[in-house]
Amino acid sequence: MTARPRAIQPGRLRRRLTLAFALTAGIAATALAAGSFLLVREARLDDSRDRSLEQSRFNLVLASEVLPPEGPEALLEAYERRGSFETVLLVDGSSFPSSLSLGEEQVPEDLRRLVADGQLAYERTTVADTRYLVTGGRVSRSGADEAYFFFSEEELWDDLAALRTILLAGLGIVVVVAALAGALLARRMLAPVARASTAARSLAEGLLDTRLPVERADEFGAWAASFNEMADALETKITALSEAQARERRFTADVAHELRTPLTAIVNEASLLAEHIERMPPDARRPAELLVTDVGRLRDLVEDLMEISRLDAGTQAVRPERVDLGSLVAAAVRARGWEDRVRLETAEVVLTSDPRRIERIVANLIGNALEHGGRDVSVRVGADGVGAFVEVADRGPGIAREDLPHLFERFYKADPARTGHGTGLGLAIALENARLLGGDVDVWAEPGVGSRFTLRLPVAKPLRDGEGGVADDEQA
Amino acid sequence: MEARILLVEDDPSIRETTSLGLAGAGFRVTTAADGREALLRFRQEPIDLVVLDLMLPELDGYEVCREIRRTSRVPIVMLSARSDTVDVVVGLELGADDYVTKPFELAELVARVRAALRRASGAEAGARIAVGDLEIEPDGFQATKAGRELDLTATEFRLLLELARRPGHVFTRELLLERVWNYEYLGDSRLVDVAVQRLRAKVEDDPRHPALITTVRGVGYRFERG
Repeated sequence: MTARPRAIQPGRLRRRLTLAFALTAGIAATALAAGSFLLVREARLDDSRDRSLEQSRFNLVLASEVLPPEGPEALLEAYERRGSFETVLLVDGSSFPSSLSLGEEQVPEDLRRLVADGQLAYERTTVADTRYLVTGGRVSRSGADEAYFFFSEEELWDDLAALRTILLAGLGIVVVVAALAGALLARRMLAPVARASTAARSLAEGLLDTRLPVERADEFGAWAASFNEMADALETKITALSEAQARERRFTADVAHELRTPLTAIVNEASLLAEHIERMPPDARRPAELLVTDVGRLRDLVEDLMEISRLDAGTQAVRPERVDLGSLVAAAVRARGWEDRVRLETAEVVLTSDPRRIERIVANLIGNALEHGGRDVSVRVGADGVGAFVEVADRGPGIAREDLPHLFERFYKADPARTGHGTGLGLAIALENARLLGGDVDVWAEPGVGSRFTLRLPVAKPLRDGEGGVADDEQA
Repeated sequence: MEARILLVEDDPSIRETTSLGLAGAGFRVTTAADGREALLRFRQEPIDLVVLDLMLPELDGYEVCREIRRTSRVPIVMLSARSDTVDVVVGLELGADDYVTKPFELAELVARVRAALRRASGAEAGARIAVGDLEIEPDGFQATKAGRELDLTATEFRLLLELARRPGHVFTRELLLERVWNYEYLGDSRLVDVAVQRLRAKVEDDPRHPALITTVRGVGYRFERG
């Protein structure tokens, strides 16, 4: 089981939230700005039109007073005194403009038609880049005379342009601020999520006391609280479980340990008995022989139990030394008197490891092969790209496929009928020891062909340093 | 004359059978059931070697070991309940020479006892060795440093002699176990490490920075040529 962190880009949700904030703010602000701009424009234009028309009405009244007696020039002068507009008078078919840039042709056609119908009318137009509201009407009492007034709306349009600029800038600022606020808020909102994610991961990695800070009274606070409740429950459960497991293992260790004292006595008694077997009466001899053998088996079993409970406790020290693997294996074979039954093929492989553990593993594998494999046991020591290996092969009956995965389990016996001499713990101990050395034991087997166990050991990888450093108390 | 062994063991069955086994191997055996009795017997009788259980009522094995070492260099073989924990190392540091783990075979114990007695028995032939202010006299079975006699146990003396006879040579732990402790195959390397430590404490000027017996990392030890 590998708890791999899922492939989520952490910033993605944050970016989405930021974008959503900016977009919402942008749309709202645009609608608001556009709406207010249009309203203001309408209001200003209407206002300008109303004022212009009112002025025009007054102007036309003035025209009807001044024009007939004093003529167009006097009227223009009177208008000029009134200020802020230009005038084009059409009197008796001729045009009298108040400014040189204006004339009859600048008066829009549509307006003239409306004026011709006798109405006071207006129209907006541009003359020489200046925007005007043009009003016009007939001068009463003088018949066909017409007066047109050009009210400049430049200022109004400039104001509107300024307003638009301000609104656009405001819009931009609003969007930027919203995006910033969104990012900030997202970060603040999502920080608990990131924290929870980290916390969940460290929980998964076994740091059971991991908790989340409950610092806010919002949904995240509630979430953190329930996360913590879950972690509490998990911790309680796992602690209880591992305590139970530890108790169980301690019990095994204690049992093995307590068995040791009577067992030592029994082993002693058996070996004293063994010296006298020859002199025993025949009917006592066989039970005595069996007793001596069985005491040996019991001793092996208790020693294996003690070793496996030590391995379980994880307190086993590795005492690394420089090891010549070939010589070590050869010596292990020799020490057990197996030279005649094992074909040995060694190469010089030097590594730093714990020779006593390697010896134990190798002796177990060879012993197994001799017991179950029978004949043709061959042992090969060498090194390949992966590391060093000791390969123990036999041409025995092999191992059934369904047994292979369970072979290294404790007390697993492939053939329940075959009691064998082993304790049922040998391979489990071998594997645990191999792993303690940073190596492994793998198995290949084919029914009817034979089986092959391979101890693999790292060559270059430094070992976990154990208590073996008694001698290394000085700088080397 | 057979060696006299003091067997200290609280379990009556183990005490009796072990005693029988040692007697069967030709030793004279005195037994003690607890630490106090052990020290009493040790003072009363001429003991050549002590087989000492570490877990004892009254006075535990460590105390007995420490007490004996205050006055005597007699070989001590411990009976240990576990070989993997520190108790063996503690025992060795207190001056025990060797140990056997329960459950042990009588033959194994007898072999360890014989090896320890052999180390302690009598003189070695060989010329005097002098390195700096350290002098070793194999036939006198003693070593002096700056004229003062060193208080070495038999094991420590044999170890020193073994190393000093071939200065500059690197001894692996296995070789030392074989030569000094008479292990035929893969003994506990901590025996060597602890004995070297104890030896350094007695022969080095500054035991924390040994100049005489140096560690060759990952290999073993070397006695420096003066």
